[in-house]
Formats: sequence, structure tokens, C-alpha cells
Amino acid sequence: MSASGGSADLLIEGVGKRFGEVVALDHVSLKVAQGELLTILGPSGSGKTTLLKVVAGFETPDGGRVTVGGVEITALPPAKRDIGMVFQNYALFPHLSVAANVAFPLEMRNIAKPEIERRVAEALAMVELKGYEARLPRQLSGGQQQRVALARAIVFNPRLLLLDEPFGALDRKLRETMQLEVRRLQRRLGLTTIFITHDQEEALVLSDRIAVMNRGTIQQIATTTEIYERPANDFVADFVGESNIYHGTMSGPGTVTLDGGRTLTVRSDKPAGTKVGVLMRPERFASSGTNAFTGEVIESVYLGTSFKLRLACEGGLELLVRQPARGALPATATRVTVGIDPESIHVF
Amino acid sequence: MDIKRLHRRHALSLLGGAAAVGATGSAFAQAEPPKPAQLVVNHSGGSMGTAMRKAFFNGFEKKYGIKVVETSPVDFGKLRAMVDSGNVEWDLTEIGGQDAIRAGKANLLEKIDTKVVDRSKYPATAQNPYVFASSVYTTIMGFRNDVFKNGSQPKSWADWWDVKKFPGARSMRNHPTDNLEFALIADGVPKDKLYPIDFDRAFKKLDQIKPHVTVWWSTGQQPAQLLLDKEVVLATGWNGRFYDIIKKGAPVGIEWNEGALKQGSFAIPRGAKSPYWANKMLAELAVPQQQAVYASELGYPGLNLESLNFVDPKVKPFLPTAYLDQQFWVSDEWYAENGTKAAERWNAWMLKKG
Amino acid sequence: MNRSIFPALPALILLFVFFLFPVVRMLGFSVEGGTFDWYAKALGEQLYLRVFWNTFEIALLVTFFCLLLGYPLGFLMATTTPFWATMGFIFVLLPLWTSVLVRTYAWMVLLGRNGVFNRTLIEAGVITDPIPMLHNFTGVLIGMVHVLLPYMVLPIYSAVRKVDPAIPAAAAGLGASSFAIFRRIYLPLTLNGIFAGSVLVFVLSLGFYITPALLGGGRVIIIAVLIEQQVREALNWPFAAALSAVLLAATFAVYALAQRYSQPVETTR
Repeated sequence: MSASGGSADLLIEGVGKRFGEVVALDHVSLKVAQGELLTILGPSGSGKTTLLKVVAGFETPDGGRVTVGGVEITALPPAKRDIGMVFQNYALFPHLSVAANVAFPLEMRNIAKPEIERRVAEALAMVELKGYEARLPRQLSGGQQQRVALARAIVFNPRLLLLDEPFGALDRKLRETMQLEVRRLQRRLGLTTIFITHDQEEALVLSDRIAVMNRGTIQQIATTTEIYERPANDFVADFVGESNIYHGTMSGPGTVTLDGGRTLTVRSDKPAGTKVGVLMRPERFASSGTNAFTGEVIESVYLGTSFKLRLACEGGLELLVRQPARGALPATATRVTVGIDPESIHVF
Repeated sequence: MDIKRLHRRHALSLLGGAAAVGATGSAFAQAEPPKPAQLVVNHSGGSMGTAMRKAFFNGFEKKYGIKVVETSPVDFGKLRAMVDSGNVEWDLTEIGGQDAIRAGKANLLEKIDTKVVDRSKYPATAQNPYVFASSVYTTIMGFRNDVFKNGSQPKSWADWWDVKKFPGARSMRNHPTDNLEFALIADGVPKDKLYPIDFDRAFKKLDQIKPHVTVWWSTGQQPAQLLLDKEVVLATGWNGRFYDIIKKGAPVGIEWNEGALKQGSFAIPRGAKSPYWANKMLAELAVPQQQAVYASELGYPGLNLESLNFVDPKVKPFLPTAYLDQQFWVSDEWYAENGTKAAERWNAWMLKKG
Repeated sequence: MNRSIFPALPALILLFVFFLFPVVRMLGFSVEGGTFDWYAKALGEQLYLRVFWNTFEIALLVTFFCLLLGYPLGFLMATTTPFWATMGFIFVLLPLWTSVLVRTYAWMVLLGRNGVFNRTLIEAGVITDPIPMLHNFTGVLIGMVHVLLPYMVLPIYSAVRKVDPAIPAAAAGLGASSFAIFRRIYLPLTLNGIFAGSVLVFVLSLGFYITPALLGGGRVIIIAVLIEQQVREALNWPFAAALSAVLLAATFAVYALAQRYSQPVETTR
């Protein structure tokens, strides 16, 4: 591998890792195309951080291969991998100035001084930190520290960029700004990037594709819309976005009989008798539709742009419904009717 | 020396306190003062403490019902600090010979009450008004008797200096006392003409032995240990320490000739809480039968000349009082005046290369 | 009175009574009679200058060797598993819990002419005559480093512990070799620990007394021995005070110097 190789694709094949009895990674395989931003989304303990450590070289997998740009790096020490990484708490060098932090990876590569100065200035300009060169990390705000970490991770033109929950410590507004900024920078540099988060909203905003992980395996890899609209299983459906999930059996072409007895009209060509899951996103309900539900409001919340209602319907169904905030907020204990069309129901 | 100036200052500063103590003392002179709950005796500790308890303290406690509390170590600086500050913890303390003389002169000690302590059987050298001579000890030659077999050990300091005839590593005390005398004797000065010590002559002679001394010892158990570990084959040391390991079967012998005798001393610090009972304790230390018990334990006989009569004949050969005429008495008086000078010369000599 | 210092008052009183007051008393002693004669003697006579120099030389060497051994040890203890860290603590602290005589005897058993080391080497045919490791300068160094090592290891251990493990990991990820991580990351970030440990060891070395006397065979004379002689044997307290004051002043000077040159490097480019 060479230091100036530039962005490359990443291939993970059958990587496994156990810690004693705990299986952290169970034959994980995935591919990230050159220039793509892939998010690994999962709850804590799902194995996403272990996967990132394997890619970065801080953990050695028990089996499997990691390949970058066609070259296997599985056994390479971190220092030889040419991977830029932004840590959860940034891991800035507290005793070094902003400029020295950013210059560090270049110095480790024995790059000539004038060249280092030029590239540090360029990287700091890119993250809009011109004029902060001499400051120490502790003299910066959280957002500024994050930018330094980012500049340090990209300044040496790495083959991959890894982001380990980098926005966790920022407040909401700053987080949103930074998310967009990272996205913009990543696109501009065409950097192959893996982004780790447990925040599904963040995953939806940033990613080209999302890999949802749970218990050491990848549950689904797909584009953001695919993940949201057509989750592969209960876990993905539940973890990404708000959802109403029920189980039932195909009772005929385009009809599902839920386990509670209620029959729904859906778009699905699964043969009759197939056990299926049914996902109805709360915001897909309208005041009327092919499948109508009437129920008693047991919880109602005003959210500014929408109302969030919880309805207790017949057959033991409990529905979470979001409606545009128009008119008065339905009071609890009143009865409300909502409907949903077959194309808005995802059968899996 | 500036010690004199120091003494004068202390004499002045202590005048008030001394007067007060004197007054209290005389008030109790007629009747026996009340018994304190305890009597604090400060000594060197270790096996000496064990032997003192066996020979003297247990009997004293039984006789008077006063608990004897033992503290250690012996510390002249601490004694002075106690007396200076008026907070005297010790009722009785062991004290080095030359220190005792200086302490008496510096007004740090109470006088021994000769009405309580009977010293009629003591030699004239042991009648100092402030100092009670509790025992005799001597610095002599210890040797490995598996190296120097059948009496082939050095028998004089001239022999000790003769490293060709008596080869092997030696250990001597890291202190001018004894060594200056030994050097002079080795150089031909008669035992009774040692004082005042001729420093230049002594150190010149010491130069000759310096390369052959691997360890200059600083604590009493070192010479015995060094002989046991065969770290050296010849060591000067205190007779009791050699007696102790010989009793336990160590291959070590003692050469008594030209040993340096000193007396172990006890004294009552000025301002002690129970001076009367401290004198009573000294009276106990003067009982010849008890001194014999003590001597059998440690090899340090008392100065009550009758005490040898009560000692087991097997122990007698290990007691310095059996060889008094072969040895010489170290002059505490001379060291009291010249100790500082001697120490400075010694340090400077020790720092010299070679 | 400023309310904020109120909680610290007991400690301040304690410090005043047990530290400041005795020091002032001591300084008073040293110039008794309005004369600086004792200082002139302490600083003018070859004997005392030589011994001061010896003392500092030993303290410096002990500090150096403690650092040499203590840094890797403290570092390993801070980065290993809790089990090994505990084992490390026990072995490092053991000498502190042992009486000086037991410790010294242990050294004699190991290092003596007929000690374990020499016997093993002679039996193995490596040497024919015992190597003198005891009763000389080497013995003093070994003994002092042994006893003082904890004072070096503990501050370094805690300094290394304070370094967020992500920081060296980040450096490795950015291309730093192990040596570069040590030199550019750990060393500057643990400089405070090194400084604290070194000052502790150095200052404690200056006052060492029993170990040099026992392991040095009497040849290694340091200033504490002379001060002790003046206090206990010569009873010349003014001179002892003057010697102590010179030692104290020199110690402060070294401390100030060390502090001045050990500020964490804050690289500004």
C-alpha cells in the first residue's frame, strides 16, 4: 500500500470475532464501493464498534479477510493501513496545537516540511478552522474539536475514513450542522467512508447505504429508503423509525389475517399460508383508506408539525398514528377512525 | 571547641528549671515519694532489652509494683531535646560513655543518689556522680576459627595489621573510637600511653589497613553477621555479639588481647518524672546476683566486682572482666573533649581515595 | 479572613506547626549568636563540600536508575490487566512494607561475596572471584533504587492511567510507530508523572541514611550521616542546622530548576 493511494473500496469477507463466550462478530461480510458512505447502524453491543476496530486494525479477527483496494490488510498493524479515523471523543492530542495535531499523520509519513504546512493549511481551511492553528484542543468548543479530528483524519489522503459515533457529544443543532458538513466534505473528496452510529435518524440523513447490525450479524444492507420502507425483518423495522408491527398469515392473494383475527388488504404476492410480518409506518395513516381502523384515543401528543396518537382498536390492535397538525388535537377517550392503503403497508 | 560555648548557654537557660527540680527533690528527701504507675527505661533494645527484663525489670516490678516501660533506641540528641524542652519521657536512660560525661557536664543529668545506690564495691573509675556504670564491654577481634585454626589467629593489633601473615578480608567499626587506639598499639605505642591520641600517627597507620577492610561497620550486629556470612574472616566487634553467635554454634572465636574496654552506662535525665524510683532501679542494677544473670545472657558483666562469683564457670571465659589486664580502658574523658575533632578527621580520612 | 481557605485551615496549622516552625527554628539555630561561621564551615571546608557533592551525585544516579526501571514498569502496570497490575503493585510496594534491616539482610544474602548471585556465577564458571556488589557504591545504588522505586512507579503509573487509551490508538491509526507513540504521545503526556516521581526520589535520596550506612560498607558518606553525627554525637546543633539549611536550599534550587525545564511541551507551529 502506498501513502498516496487515495480512496479505495473496502471488502469484508466472513469476519468473525469472539470475546470468550460472547460472539461479537458472526461471519460478517459487506462491501463498500469507492466513494460511498456506508453507515453501520445498531444498538450498543451489536458488534458495530468491533467491526470498525477490525477494519482499523485495533482488533484482529478470529477469521475472515479485510481487503482495501484489492489488497488484503487483515494482519497489517493500524499504522500501516492508511485509514483515517475520527474517534467518539475525537482523541485529539491534548498537548499539541491544532496545527500540530493535523500535521501529525504527515510527519509520521516523513513528508517535507513545506508540503506539511501547505496541506495542514488546506485541511484546516476545508473544515473552516483558519486562524485556530496555534490553539490547544482544550481551548476549542466541541464542534471545533470535531473539525480538527476530521481534518487530521483526512489530511493524509487516506484510503478509507472511519467515523465512530463522532456526533454523540454535540448538541442537537450543532450535530445537524456537522452531519451536513461531513456529508458535503465526504462527497467532495470522494472518500470511501464507514460511519458508525446507533442513531437511526442520523443514519438516514448521512448515508448512501445503511447496514443494520444486531447481535454480531448484519440484518440488512440497503439504501436509506429501502431500509425505511422495506425493512427485512422485525428488528430493522423496529429499530429504524417509528412503526406498527404485527404478525399474521397470508389468507389469500393480497390479504393477510393478523394473529388477532383482523384481515388487511395488502400488496403482496406471497402464497397463501405464508407466515408474514406487517409494517405500517405511523405517518402513512390518513383519515380514510382501504383498511380502516376505529379506536379509542389512549394517548395524544402535540408535536408542532404533527399529532401523535395512540389508538386502541378492536381485536386488541394498538396503533401509533401520526397526522398533520390541523384543527384540534383529538382528546383522549374520544373515538377516531383512520385508514391506510395497501401500498403503504410493507409485508415481509 | 565550641561545645563550651554551648554548655554555657544551656547552663543559663536551664538555671530556672534546674532550681525548680532541685526544690522538688529536697521536699521529698525525707519520706519515700509516692510510687508512680510506671517507670520509663530507655535502652538499646534487642537482646539487651530481653536480658534486662529477665535480670532486673521483672524483679523490680514484683518488688515495688511499678510497671517498667521500655523504650529504645539510645539517642543523645533526643535526650538533650527532652531536657531542653522540659518534657522528659525517660526516667532512666542508657547512654554512651563519652556522651555520659559530656551530658553530666552539660547539666543534662540528675546526680546519682548514693544513699539509694550502693557503689561501694565498684572500682574508682566507676564512681562518676552523674553516671552509673551498669556493665563492661569490650571491642575485640572476632575471627573465623575454620580459617584461623588451632590458635593461628592474629593475637595483637600488630598481627591484625600484618596482612601477609594473616590474609583475608577484615571489618572494623566506622568510627574513630577504638580504631585510633588499635592503630597506635599496632604502631608500637604502649597501652598506657595512648592518650592524648596522636591523630597523624594513628591515621598514617590506618592508611595501611584501609585497603584490606571491606566493610566499615556501623551497627553492632554487623560484625557477627559478616563473619557468619563469611563476608570477612576477621572483624572487630563487641564481645557480647560474638558471644551470642558462638553460643549458637557459629565457627567464630574471640581474641581478647588488646581489647578496648568501655563501660555501659545509665543515667537519670534532668527533670525526670520519678528520679527517686529511677535510683531504686539503679540499685537493682547494682545487685551482683542479678548482674551475673545478665552477664550469662549477653556476655556483658556488671562492674560490681562481686558479680563474677555468681557466674557459671562455663560463661566466665566469655566475659571481658576475666581479661581486664590484657586490655585497656578507652578514655571517655578524652573523647568527651576531642570526639568532634576525631569524627571530622575520621570522615575526611574515609573520603580520601584509596 | 477569606472564607475559601477556611476548610484548609487545619492542614495549614498542621503544616505551620510541624513543618514551617521547625524549619524556622532550625534556621534560627544555624545563625545563633548572629554569626554565619557555621555556614562558612559548611561551605568552606573541603570535607563538607565533598560530602554534599557525593550526596547529590548519589541522589541523581538513584533518580536516573529509578526512572530507567520505573517508567517501563509503571507503564506496563497501567496498561496491563487488573490482575497483573495488582501483582505489580504488590512487588513494587513490598520493600516499603519491609523493615530496613530485613531488606538489608536480603540484599546481603543475594549480593554478598558468598551470596546467591556470586555463588551461582562461580558455580556456572562465569567468574572465578566474587564480584563486589555489596559494601560499596554499587550496593548503595542497588539498595536505594530498590526502596525508592515505588515513589517513581506510582506517579508514572497514575500519569499513564490518565492518558485516554483512544489517544495512542489514534496516533497508531495515523501512522505512528510504537517508538513514535512513546516519544510524541506518552512521554509529553506523562511528563508530570516523571517530574513528580523524580523529585520525590531525588529529595528522599538526599535524606537517606540507614541504607547507605549499611550497604556502603562505611565508605559512602552522605550529608545525612554527617548531620546525624553533629546532632547526636557532637551535639553541635548550630552546625547541624547550617548543614541542613544548605541541603534544604540546594534541594529547593534543584526543584525549581527541574520544574522550569519540565513544563509540558506545547508545540505551536
